[in-house]
Amino acid sequence: MSNDQAVSQYLAEYPASSASLPGQTLPWLQQFRKQALACFSTHGFPDIRQEEWRYTNVSAIEKKRFKPFTSTAQGLTNIDSHVLDELVLQDMWTVVLVNGQFVAEHSRLEGVPPGVIICSMSQALEDNPEQVQAQLGQAVSDDEHGFIAFNSAWFSEGLYVHVPANTVLEKPLQVVHYFDDADALLALRNVYHVDESAEASIVETFAGAAQAYFSVNVTEAVLAENASLSVTQIQTASDKAYHFAGCYAKQAANSRFRHDNFAFGGLLARNEIHTQLFKAAECELNGLYLGNKRQHIDNHTRINHLEAHAISRELYKGVLAQRARGVFQGRVIVAEDAQKTDSEMNNRNLLLSEDAEADTKPQLEIYADDVKCAHGVTVGQLDEKSVFYLQSRCMSEEQARNMLTFAFANEMVNKIKHKSLHDFVLKQLLQRFPQQGVEAAWL
Amino acid sequence: MSSSTQEIEQLIGQEYKQGFVTDLEVDTFPPGLDEDVIRRLSKVKNEPEFMLEYRLQAFRHWQEMDSPDWAQLNIDPIDYQAISYYSAPKKKEDGPKSLDEVDPELLETYKKLGIPLDEQERLAGVAVDAVFDSVSVATTFKGKLKDAGVIFCPISEALQDHPDLVKQYLGSVVPTGDNFFAALNAAVFTDGSFVYIPKGVRCPMELSTYFRINAANTGQFERTLIIADEDSHVSYLEGCTAPMRDENQLHAAVVELVALDNAEIKYSTVQNWYPGDKDGKGGIYNFVTKRAECRGANSKVSWTQVETGSAITWKYPSCVLLGDNSVGEFYSVALTNNYQQADTGTKMIHVGKNTSSTIISKGISAGKAQNTYRGLVKVAKSAAQARNYTQCDSLLVGDRCGAHTFPYVEVKQPSAQVEHEATTSKISEDQLFFCQQRGLSAEDAVSMIVNGFCKEVFKELPMEFAVEAQALLGISLEGSVG
Repeated sequence: MSNDQAVSQYLAEYPASSASLPGQTLPWLQQFRKQALACFSTHGFPDIRQEEWRYTNVSAIEKKRFKPFTSTAQGLTNIDSHVLDELVLQDMWTVVLVNGQFVAEHSRLEGVPPGVIICSMSQALEDNPEQVQAQLGQAVSDDEHGFIAFNSAWFSEGLYVHVPANTVLEKPLQVVHYFDDADALLALRNVYHVDESAEASIVETFAGAAQAYFSVNVTEAVLAENASLSVTQIQTASDKAYHFAGCYAKQAANSRFRHDNFAFGGLLARNEIHTQLFKAAECELNGLYLGNKRQHIDNHTRINHLEAHAISRELYKGVLAQRARGVFQGRVIVAEDAQKTDSEMNNRNLLLSEDAEADTKPQLEIYADDVKCAHGVTVGQLDEKSVFYLQSRCMSEEQARNMLTFAFANEMVNKIKHKSLHDFVLKQLLQRFPQQGVEAAWL
Repeated sequence: MSSSTQEIEQLIGQEYKQGFVTDLEVDTFPPGLDEDVIRRLSKVKNEPEFMLEYRLQAFRHWQEMDSPDWAQLNIDPIDYQAISYYSAPKKKEDGPKSLDEVDPELLETYKKLGIPLDEQERLAGVAVDAVFDSVSVATTFKGKLKDAGVIFCPISEALQDHPDLVKQYLGSVVPTGDNFFAALNAAVFTDGSFVYIPKGVRCPMELSTYFRINAANTGQFERTLIIADEDSHVSYLEGCTAPMRDENQLHAAVVELVALDNAEIKYSTVQNWYPGDKDGKGGIYNFVTKRAECRGANSKVSWTQVETGSAITWKYPSCVLLGDNSVGEFYSVALTNNYQQADTGTKMIHVGKNTSSTIISKGISAGKAQNTYRGLVKVAKSAAQARNYTQCDSLLVGDRCGAHTFPYVEVKQPSAQVEHEATTSKISEDQLFFCQQRGLSAEDAVSMIVNGFCKEVFKELPMEFAVEAQALLGISLEGSVG
């Protein structure tokens, strides 16, 4: 394998760097990390020969030899307050992590209902190790691929959220991830545990300085019966950054999970959203990816219907300009016992330039008979009739095309009901839109 | 619906009608495969030198390859040394010169299969090349085809009579190293059909080949090569059956189609190899590589397939659309029952400008069968204004079967328009009820609904085949919903 060298280097450096990882005193965690390490040494980094990675080559990441960020001493930079102002939404609780480190002075958690835990992973490992132990590795396995195993072995921090039974968080929690450490590899592990009949909404914003760094985020979302969780990811990393973010949900009966994914930034970004649906659970996955310059954005979703009566809805849209490449791989699996499954998946792509590329691979894998499953995929251009209609209303062709392209993307933003979040995403979309002359005034 | 459940089981349990064995004197190589076997094979067939080289090169390549494992299939390992690579009805003297000289028992076999080999007048319009185990038995209608300038003969004969044509085109669409089974086929293929339609000729009748595996422990490796020269047109049909045997038999064929400027090829298949018994024992492994190249501008290739047989089907009839304005089509009905597995679909590679392709795939899965559609639509940067429409529908019959859809779409051209749609469902109770309250039996109602489900594909089949295909579906499917 080509990536042997990088893998063995990381493995060789592990003993020295691991001393500063959190939870050194917990034997179960040591065991957990040891197993992950063994898994990483067999799998290595993902390879395009693997079916799930056939459109995304990560050899650039291996070549870069990013250094795992293991200690707080490695230069925790203070975040500029105006950068933060840009990112923080005022009507939410806020947690700020800079280079994966929890920055207490910028976090605002006043008024969080009693019993709700929102803290750093290292804090949780000190205060509630049993609770973390019960959730870690629940929703995703290290065997999935090398990045997960790497994350399990190397994670240095993360966020731990526990919403106890029958508790409703009346406003969203915003997690601001900011990275400015050049050439660093930041492995973060998050657990969102929403207990029975509880409700939470979490907004993750990823941003960074214009440097090459690699963030490996693994989030496990565990939803107990009748729980409800909404996760919105807004990724506006710099165009030199490498970004991996996986959100893995395990949904008990009657739970509801919603994931909105706005992938705007990064040189190479891979998002994974996997969910396991038990009886009558529901999930809704939405995504919008904007590719510009030489960006490569890969969205990988898997919806696993394990029991009957579950419902899944998925819509991903891509706008690809210049030399960008957008990838969508969506898989729906319906197990033998998952009768009455209702599943719909759609992926729509607009190619704006000669050099852009869209690769899409929706998959239906069905082992039960009484199901309603459908998927659809399109790659193409704007409807010429619509363009003509707008031109007949005194618009230039360019204006007409811009307006239609913007409307295509804006559908995903409009799915957000929370006002300030909607406005924030819209602002990001306008800033990063690949075409000039798009105006907010159209709305 | 319990009353119909019994009928269903009866119907599903229907025996394979083509499962008889014909006792014939045969020449068969002992099982095993090495370079000597290939040399002997080439010698028996009295092939030109380049063919031996071609075979040996393919064999050496094959030895370095691994059997593919990416398909959604569960395949028992195949012992390639346990297969006999040549089996032919023993020739008395120099072989049949006309139909009268063909072994009457063989003719009897085809009669059982309903092949109109000796009913030429009645079914005028179909010229049949029948391949029995490894060699072609007889080709009908030679004279009439010759008048039109069409060459339609066993490929072994073509190697003797038209070696230049064969040399020019053989392996030009599916190279020897293309994949594991194609390489094996290139090394050991024994016979198959060769068709050449000269410039400006519209083939005066449908061409047809009938394949049958008869001898035990043999594999069938046939090779079909069809060349449609400029402005020509041909419609070609193939059908297949095999006797019932406990062990699995291997069928690894390669089909190459070449369409030059303004040429059109229509290729239809009704595949009814022995599917194994209801416990999944025996049956044919049908591992086939089929590919067409639309080399010329405005050329068109249309694949239509009805796949009801075989224990395992692994088959992706593909079109490489090189010529500007060329068209590729793929219409498929794949039915799996009991423990049958099918992983089938197509590849449409758009290279030329204004190329268009249509994919209509209907999968029906019953019993404990697994049915997979796997397809690729690739639009290269050069394929301006390329257009593809794909529709894959699956019908599930029974709660222990699987239906899977794995489409791949890769687009590098902004002016291309690619659409893919797939749905999976079972026959709706409402539709069944509606038909029944109009006086149809449950069985007829299902037959009607399934035929309706497959209609888009059946209407692409030539008449004779459409009837056979509907009958085949009838045998395995009618009433099998409850």
